Amino acid sequence: MTKLTEKQLIETLRCLKEIKPREDWAGLLKAQILAEKKEAVVAEKIGIMEVLSNVFLQRKMAYSFATLAFLIIGLIGFAETTVPGDLLFPVKKLAEQSQAALLGQTGIQKSVAVLNNRINELAQATKDGKSESVSSAITEISANAKDLAEGLKNNTIDDKNAIQQIADSLKVLADTGADLSNDQDVMDLYQIVAANQIEDLQNTTLTDEQKLILAEAESLYEEGKYADSLEKILTINN
Amino acid sequence: MDGKNEQFSQIYDQYIDKIYRFVYLKVSSQETAEDITSKVFLRGWEAFQKQDSDIKNPGAFLYQIARNAVIDHYREKGRTNVISSESLPDLSDTSENIHEKAVLSADVRLVKDAIAEIKKEYQDVIIMHYLEDMSVDEIAKLLGKPSGTIRVMMHRGLKDLRDKVQES
Repeated sequence: MTKLTEKQLIETLRCLKEIKPREDWAGLLKAQILAEKKEAVVAEKIGIMEVLSNVFLQRKMAYSFATLAFLIIGLIGFAETTVPGDLLFPVKKLAEQSQAALLGQTGIQKSVAVLNNRINELAQATKDGKSESVSSAITEISANAKDLAEGLKNNTIDDKNAIQQIADSLKVLADTGADLSNDQDVMDLYQIVAANQIEDLQNTTLTDEQKLILAEAESLYEEGKYADSLEKILTINN
Repeated sequence: MDGKNEQFSQIYDQYIDKIYRFVYLKVSSQETAEDITSKVFLRGWEAFQKQDSDIKNPGAFLYQIARNAVIDHYREKGRTNVISSESLPDLSDTSENIHEKAVLSADVRLVKDAIAEIKKEYQDVIIMHYLEDMSVDEIAKLLGKPSGTIRVMMHRGLKDLRDKVQES
């Protein structure tokens, strides 16, 4: 090529402005980019909405759950000090059932724990002079004693500790001064526990004094005075 | 069409020819130039669509992406050919371009081919100044070099280019 001056070279260079992309390609690329942008925006909006709604829903659920849990815990806390006849007493019973399920207590163990609670409540209501609660507590104890007696009758009594706990609870019941001598369900329970305790003591080495007390307990049992019989037996055990 | 869409559409119309030309002169292949230019605008769009993006000078931004994309292209090609990146200008594509032949005279095509043979940094300043009418200060800002350095590069680039043209 002939020698170029700088000016000519620059003029030739400017001619390169003629280089342009294919129109159809440029148009297609633009359409693709803008379409992708639109799709991306829509997807992004949908994504954002989904994320937001999920977050809000999850938060809403979490808050609801937390509030519910807070209310339940508070309610159970308040119900803890209630005695039969109180407004929140059913909540306490419900909590007892849940607790028993969580602890994996069997039927007898659960009934023993409940009987113990009801007798303690009766003792508390008697102490506080709440006559309505005393009456409700006795009804509860009667129902519980019936369940427990039936359970003990229908099952071999292997759990000596449970029997001892029932015996101790019945001692507390007797100490409250509540007259349950006409309550057949409670008396049935006394009978079963007394019979079981006598049988145990008969197979145990006792002192002469304890043997005398056991004889008295047996005698009372024969007379149908199961509560008195159990009271005698408990003096030997204690 | 939303605001961002319309803005980007205008930027595209304003710069598509310039960016394509810039890339084409460096790679000398229509296919490669289209491929790289597509990537440039897609990357530009990705950056532009971000809510917190603050692109004050879209042109400079796109040129910067284009420069990097061309470097990536040659780096990739260099890896394939196991050739040092020092010889980047020699790696330009030489595929035939019917469109180019139709619109460019033989002299202009000679100059175009010569551009692809000079140093990459000289290519940038020459294309930006003489073809895209960017001022020395604009180029200096874009390339992150002093204006004086850009002037020296333009002078040396023109000299090299003239030598290459006359050699051919």
